[in-house]
Amino acid sequence: MSTAAGHEHHWEWSWAPTAVVIGTFLLVPLGFSAYFVYEDTMLTILFTGLGTPILLAGIARWVHEGLTQKPLVAGLAATALPIFIVSEIFIFLGLFTAYWTMRLSQGGNWPPEGTPELNLLIPVIMTFFLVGSSITYHVAEMKDEAGDMAGFRKWLIITLILGTIFLGLTVYEYQHLLHIGFGPSANAFSTAFYTITGFHASHVLVGLGSFLAVLIPAFKGRSNHTLTASVGVYWHFVDVVWFFVASQIYFW
Amino acid sequence: MSAAQSSWKEWVFTTDHKRIGVMYLVGSLAAFAVAGTMALLIRIEQSQLGPNLVGDAFTGGDTYNTWLYFHGAAMILAFLIPGLTGYFANYFIPLMIGANDVAFPRINAFSVWLFFVAIVLALAGFVIPDTPDIMWTGYPPYSVMTSANTSFYVFTVHLLGFSSILGAVNFLVTVVYMRAPGMGWNQLNVFVWTTVAAFVIQLIFIPVLAAAVTMLLFDKYLGTHFFDPAAGGDVLLYQNLFWFYSHPAVYVIFLPAMGVLFEVIAGMAKNRIFNYKACVYGGVWGITLLAGEVWVHHLYVAGMPDWIRVGQMVSTLLISVPVGLMVMSMWGTLYRGAITYNTAMLYAGSCLFLVLIGGLTGIPLAMTSMTVHLSETAFVHAHFHYVMAIFATFAIFSGVYYWFPKISGRMPNEKMGKLGFLINFVGVNVTFWPLFIIGIQGMPRRYWDYQMFPQFEGYHQIAFYGAVIVAVGMAITILNWLFSAIGGEKAPENPWNSASLEWTHCPSPPGPGNFPKDVELTADWTPYNYDKR
Amino acid sequence: MKGRLSALTGIAIALMATGAVASEGGLPNPAADWDVLWNKVLWDLVVIGAIFGIAALIMLFKYRATSPDQVGRGPKLSRAQALAWALIPATIFMADDFFMAAKGWTLWNTYRTVPENAMEVKVTGSMWNWEFEYENGIISTYDVDSKEGSGLVVPVGTPVVLRMESIDVIHSFGMATYRVKEDVMPGRITYIWFNPVEAKESWVTCVEFCGTRHSYMYAPVKAVPPAQYEAWVKKMESEA
Ligand code: HEA
Ligand code: HEA
Ligand code: CUA
Ligand SMILES: [Cu+2]
Repeated sequence: MSTAAGHEHHWEWSWAPTAVVIGTFLLVPLGFSAYFVYEDTMLTILFTGLGTPILLAGIARWVHEGLTQKPLVAGLAATALPIFIVSEIFIFLGLFTAYWTMRLSQGGNWPPEGTPELNLLIPVIMTFFLVGSSITYHVAEMKDEAGDMAGFRKWLIITLILGTIFLGLTVYEYQHLLHIGFGPSANAFSTAFYTITGFHASHVLVGLGSFLAVLIPAFKGRSNHTLTASVGVYWHFVDVVWFFVASQIYFW
Repeated sequence: MSAAQSSWKEWVFTTDHKRIGVMYLVGSLAAFAVAGTMALLIRIEQSQLGPNLVGDAFTGGDTYNTWLYFHGAAMILAFLIPGLTGYFANYFIPLMIGANDVAFPRINAFSVWLFFVAIVLALAGFVIPDTPDIMWTGYPPYSVMTSANTSFYVFTVHLLGFSSILGAVNFLVTVVYMRAPGMGWNQLNVFVWTTVAAFVIQLIFIPVLAAAVTMLLFDKYLGTHFFDPAAGGDVLLYQNLFWFYSHPAVYVIFLPAMGVLFEVIAGMAKNRIFNYKACVYGGVWGITLLAGEVWVHHLYVAGMPDWIRVGQMVSTLLISVPVGLMVMSMWGTLYRGAITYNTAMLYAGSCLFLVLIGGLTGIPLAMTSMTVHLSETAFVHAHFHYVMAIFATFAIFSGVYYWFPKISGRMPNEKMGKLGFLINFVGVNVTFWPLFIIGIQGMPRRYWDYQMFPQFEGYHQIAFYGAVIVAVGMAITILNWLFSAIGGEKAPENPWNSASLEWTHCPSPPGPGNFPKDVELTADWTPYNYDKR
Repeated sequence: MKGRLSALTGIAIALMATGAVASEGGLPNPAADWDVLWNKVLWDLVVIGAIFGIAALIMLFKYRATSPDQVGRGPKLSRAQALAWALIPATIFMADDFFMAAKGWTLWNTYRTVPENAMEVKVTGSMWNWEFEYENGIISTYDVDSKEGSGLVVPVGTPVVLRMESIDVIHSFGMATYRVKEDVMPGRITYIWFNPVEAKESWVTCVEFCGTRHSYMYAPVKAVPPAQYEAWVKKMESEA
């Protein structure tokens, strides 16, 4: 199992992982605690203000290195991602288990009192956009494989727009529900509703971020098939999960 | 870039699996030292009736609870798991399978940094005014109602969990795709198998814990109602999700610990593994398969429906079958061996007895009706300290001594090593035997004062002396590592004459890229073929 | 305490010899049964532990290397031998597991089957206090700081079933003397029963972590002769 790297005589290093971790650390645990636990605006601004640029710099550096350096064994990322997705499936299962437990223990009394009529048209439209974006991403991937950079960028942008609309609809729906006073703390249904749809939406956000990480180098004419394929697998997964979210939360 | 100019970056920002491994070792030992210090405070507090260190009887409990919280959480999540699946896996799996590095070196660096910031966050818990006090189990509704900061607990779990999941992905891909040409599945070191199984467990079960603590966070800070029965939530939901991970987690500790012991014992007895296939396919994978169906044994007294308690009693008891197969193989590996005793082997040898005491005392706990009395008493403490604080910890020590020449290029000081072992071994037994006795008599867990049971004071005192002895032994051991790493005698390439790849094919310590020449293996090679050399 | 443990076991074994484990009223006594089973399990484990422990000890001594370049000569197993060395121990271990599971299950049924004549007491746990409400409306408590209150008072010879609930966090009702405990939770009612066969004062301790004063959430459990119990009830009623 020899590669060029095998017999090199220097130690490999990269500051990208460290930056991503420290950025994330400032942004999420410290940012969350400053805002929700200590309700301190100055601290929140400090942590998020420091964390965001560090995180972005780390990601940019990491993507750059990923596109310019040879891995020890090429193509393994496309195998690793499905393994990671096993983990993701179980986290969704954990959340759904909570939802099923709460729901089934309530007997016929579901949704509990105080739950407004949900507009079922919204999830239908959202499904439409998300499935569409999976298809357009697939087209983009084919363009990438064929070496058609312009086509790759075009379809990538279309995918990005479709995904953004999906997320926009979530925001729209949340705003409406919050406006009529149906927040996360309203009742058992709102608890599950916001947690599960919100968790899915966070995956959409990560997906959109990874589209950007593919798109920005693509403008410089650079792409990496393994990276493109991995982002695709992740996005299709996010798409498939949505069917469960929609069927369990909206239509059951 | 000259070597001198970038040397610190080559450590701090390293993506090399060996250096990352060493970073894991340092981090996990640091966690051990701090959590061990908490244990000493706990033992001092309990050594006599009434308030001792903590101030008064009304609020003193809070102080004690923060120590115990940190002790439990850090020992399991920041010492044992990162020590075994961070240090040992990182350093030795690529060497044992003949790979130049792991599949994703940067993700590996990402994992170790997540681990570091998690420790920083956990320690930060002591400088904030509202130190977490919810125990490592974090059961709601208490963890939601307490005025202490639950969010640091949740995020520590998130960071460590994410770190482990990425580690799992990394190593599973590495072992499947990066083995040296010619290395078949039955030629893997037992340690590689146990670690692969541990990572499979991590991959599947950690996410469920992550989901559980996230719900805790939302319940406390966003006002959701997952665990609030008054609003349609379920109080026991958290416990089920928590133990759905945290029982399998004990095998994330147990399996690699056994793996390390197999390496040490086979290496020091210069013998083949007895019944390798039964050990791997029956033992390791049997445990992995059963691990997910026994979590209710932590909820025997929690008001679960009877049919679940009975069903999981049977599956819990059945764990002794695959564990028994591993035990058979370990014992058989001694049979007609040629054992050389050094510090590593002393620790390994003592583990043979510790696994019996720790494992067998799990059996009455597994029986629903026995647990009705034993649950939540010091008996449980004694059981799990025997498996974790002694068995698994000694397995780690054994491995550290065994591979010490490999990672440092120097020999550990055997005199100090053996002295440390002796003191540790006496100390832990003096500390934890009394807990079995008072446990059977009903000494409750997580009690810093025990007014109603003054008759236990003497036992607590003995345990306190034991803990002091352990502290001395631990200090000797850790200092021995420090001094030996700096000034120890230079080690030969393969001081124990081991047949395993990490000793035979690369220098000590290995340089960048690990192997001076590409590794290629024949069909009859195994890491244990002593009688064929 | 240790003496009492073995004394209890002795009594139980004697009762076993007469054909049934029963107290005076012909009722099962889970606490005594627990001790009997504990002895059995302990023997089982000691035997297993001794076999493996002694085997390890012998081999660790016997197979020391005599020269530095000596190597192990452990025999390699044929396919049939390997299979036998896996299946036979596995079968033996499994048999022992099923034996213990069956024993454990039987006792479990005793623990969960409340006798019909049981007296019912409602238990409410709160941070950090136990409250006992009797069928006739008496409410009894105990204050750990002033040591006032009588806690749980029960007449000897009558099985007692506790229906338990918490008003805040999870607690657990543990009586070491009666070898029984169960969690006390908000939003659901759990139960345990015990059989006070002799006059004795013991403790109930809270054994689920519940915060600052978890260690002080205890109360006396007094099993008293029926006459004394009646007197206590009278007194409580008149005070109320
Ligand atoms: C590394 C850690 C580790 C390991 C390996 C184990 C191993 C086992 N544990 Fe333990 N356990 C813990 C760590 C561990 N445990 C912890 C941390 C807790 C407390 C958590 C908390 O509440 O904070 C706990 C608590 C705990 C409980 C809950 C107690 C309670 O709270 O009421 C139970 C109940 O079933 C249990 C059972 C077992 C069993 C059956 C095994 C088995 O795997 C043991 C199997 C081994 C053997 C049996 C010995 C070797 C086998 C043979 C020699 C073959 C022949 C044997 C037979 C036929 C019996 N453990
Ligand atoms: C890996 C796991 C692990 C380890 C190793 C230990 C180690 C020890 N534990 Fe731990 N313990 C747990 C896991 C562990 N424990 C868990 C999970 C709980 C349950 C928590 C809960 O209920 O929620 C628990 C609970 C627990 C209790 C119960 C308290 C209570 O319920 O009220 C007690 C009491 O005696 C105790 C004692 C000890 C002692 C004396 C040691 C000793 O062996 C410690 C020895 C170590 C040291 C003394 C440190 C040595 C280091 C140095 C001296 C540093 C020198 C440094 C340099 C030179 C750089 N532990
Ligand atoms: Cu109530 Cu502990
Ligand atoms: Cu368990």
